Amino acid sequence: MIALLDNLKTHLPFSLLDDATFKTIEASSQIAYYPQDTVLIEEKTVPENVYVVIKGIVKAKEGEDLTDVYQNYDVFAAIELIRNKGSKDRYVVTQELICYEIPAEVFLDISKKNKEFKTYFLSTIMERMAFMKEKKNNMKSAEMMVARVDENILHSVCIVDADMPILDALKKLENSRAAAIIVENEFGYGIVTDADLRYYILHKEEDALVTISQIQSYPLISTEEDELLFNVLLLMTEHNIKHLPVVNENEKVIGILELSDLLSSLSHQSHLISVQMERAENIEEVIEAAKRVDVMVTLLHSRGVKSRYIAKMVSEIHKKMYAKLFTFVFPKSWHDHCTLVLLGSEGRGEQILRTDQDNALIFEDGFEPEEKEEMTLKFIEVLDAIGYPRCKGNVMVINPQWSKQVTAYKKDIASWVTAPDYKGLMNMAILFDTYAVAGNIDLFKTLRTYLMSKVKEHKEFLPYFARSIESFESPLGLFSRFIAADKAHKDEIDIKKGALFAIVHGVRALALEHGITKTNTTERIKALNDVGYMNKEDAHDLLETLEVLNSLRLHAQLEKLEAKKELDNYICLRTLGKLERDTLKEALKTVENFKKVVSYHFHLSMVS
Amino acid sequence: MFSRLIENWNRKHLKDERFSFLFDLSESDEIVVFDCETTGLNPKKDEIISIGAVKVKGNKVLTNEALHLFVEQKKQINPESIMIHQIRHCDLENAIPVEEAIETFLHYIGNRTLVGYYLEFDVAMINKYIKPMLGITLPNKKEEVSAIYYDKKIARIPQGNIDLRFDTILEDLALPKLQAHDALNDAVMTAMMYLKLKGKPIINKID
Repeated sequence: MIALLDNLKTHLPFSLLDDATFKTIEASSQIAYYPQDTVLIEEKTVPENVYVVIKGIVKAKEGEDLTDVYQNYDVFAAIELIRNKGSKDRYVVTQELICYEIPAEVFLDISKKNKEFKTYFLSTIMERMAFMKEKKNNMKSAEMMVARVDENILHSVCIVDADMPILDALKKLENSRAAAIIVENEFGYGIVTDADLRYYILHKEEDALVTISQIQSYPLISTEEDELLFNVLLLMTEHNIKHLPVVNENEKVIGILELSDLLSSLSHQSHLISVQMERAENIEEVIEAAKRVDVMVTLLHSRGVKSRYIAKMVSEIHKKMYAKLFTFVFPKSWHDHCTLVLLGSEGRGEQILRTDQDNALIFEDGFEPEEKEEMTLKFIEVLDAIGYPRCKGNVMVINPQWSKQVTAYKKDIASWVTAPDYKGLMNMAILFDTYAVAGNIDLFKTLRTYLMSKVKEHKEFLPYFARSIESFESPLGLFSRFIAADKAHKDEIDIKKGALFAIVHGVRALALEHGITKTNTTERIKALNDVGYMNKEDAHDLLETLEVLNSLRLHAQLEKLEAKKELDNYICLRTLGKLERDTLKEALKTVENFKKVVSYHFHLSMVS
Repeated sequence: MFSRLIENWNRKHLKDERFSFLFDLSESDEIVVFDCETTGLNPKKDEIISIGAVKVKGNKVLTNEALHLFVEQKKQINPESIMIHQIRHCDLENAIPVEEAIETFLHYIGNRTLVGYYLEFDVAMINKYIKPMLGITLPNKKEEVSAIYYDKKIARIPQGNIDLRFDTILEDLALPKLQAHDALNDAVMTAMMYLKLKGKPIINKID
């Protein structure tokens, strides 16, 4: 097969087609070359082919307005053919084009036979996104928790008759590479494992052991196919067995489940890490459990679990981790007199991969332990060991600025609110995203109440606070074209500066104004909807946008993690498919609109 | 003048009149790009393993009429060449006798101009078989893509040292590189080079 066509197989919607259909395409399509400025399809004409771009760029224009851009592996003219309508747009080659041309009748024939293929072209972007996720894997997060016994992890079985001589049965076992012998008796099965063989060797003469049924464990403890792995684990630990036969609905043994396989198949799952974290009895065990989180994230993401659910699971585990570290690292005498809080992305519960540590301690007034420096350093070093890079802005408990008494924080807040400067505004933003994980939580609550009341007193502070949403330009330029970040990052955009920051900060400013105590951006948006500031549709759009952006960022970061590169917020535009690019554009447009709404709301044009 | 003479002489030696169409003088608007995979680089000793060919008409590569033939091997394929073309013995299941492959190929090309990369070698390989079979060598007009490329480049940089490697040309013309290294895919890539060289008078990039 022609390799160019072969490459198509991995791209939607062609990945929906079978080999026979590909043969049909191969036998009818041609590769064509068009120099720049060629008009491929005129307005109001029905195209003769479906085009698949191999190299080059084609733009669709309605009058002088650019409606779409097509490049690597993008398909165009399909919708016009399916609808059998003249094209609304003119398709013009803007960079020398090499493309595949699939004749109209061949394409229509395929789309008539393959519903999924046809539907793909008619679906909206959001539907396509869902489609893509669904294709990745049908697994959902909930199903992860309730994984069931499935044939893939079972070992083959060696079934023998009850009267078979023991040595013959052992030979059969060796040849079959099974882990244990299943004995078929008149009434039900028995099992012979290593422990039974030990008994045989020691007692064969005195007990006159000859047939396999004499040494079997009977009756058999077994489980059914489709049983919850959780229950299976309970069963095995309860009876202290390492090999568990699995039977089908007709009571036939279909395979043997080994404890070690069961454990490893469960080990990547979040609840196990969570349990491991809960049971950790010293710092080493905490580190051990924390290090497994990345593997879990990769797995969940590859199964198409939404990034906000992943973030939720990860942040639950992290909260437990911090609580454990608080107890293990800081002396007992501290526990009731200070609070450990998480700030920034950790405070919002949005840090999925370890990008930096943001934490602080709030001490009770008058409580100033001598060993503070030593202990906070120890705490930070444990986080280093887990793999958290240190915070570049130095927002960490080793910085006295973020490790002091309640009154000192109050003083800061008062000065930030009344005389806002750049640093103060940034600190305010960090502090407002605080989440208390351990210690005397009341200390934190006092501080939060104080912060809210100060902001209420000084409403004029809010526009200053909100203003920084305008600090970064959108990476979407004129005519919806992407603008690359800078020379060092060709074909890349910084999705945090370019989009995420505006949502997070805009939502934060609105939450501060409405006295919302939630720190997570998703929850803040929901709360803004609850208090009636935002209508349901806008809230939904914003949540979806956040999901798209976070998901793209997570994807890029996981790739960097795997390549052992430093984690940053850049995403590469070249590796995005048409669908992802279009989705990203939609998302960036929503961000721009949201920025306008926030800017109008706080009258940002009035503050300078 | 001499070429005409040689051609007539060639024509006189044609033993099998079924193939007189090769000498047909009518002009075709199609050309054929082809490539052979062989057991080695010596036309005297080595054999053809497969032939890939594709027609080009106007601005289009007619991949729907592509030809990909595998030839039965008398000797074992040398393991080193398997590394290059990745055709193993088991890939030759649909292979046909070499005579049949050559005849199919000749019917496919007709009197069209032949185009290729390092065409001289591929033509020599085909001639090796048709000389004893038909008494002639390929009479078709021939065009070498690396020569077309050279002419275009040298016009821009007269003293330049021009790299004529296949991959370099492909890259310079901003064409997609196909992983598969077989006769048909090489022919398709060469056809794209040809289209692009013919389609655009200037090469933008100078390296």
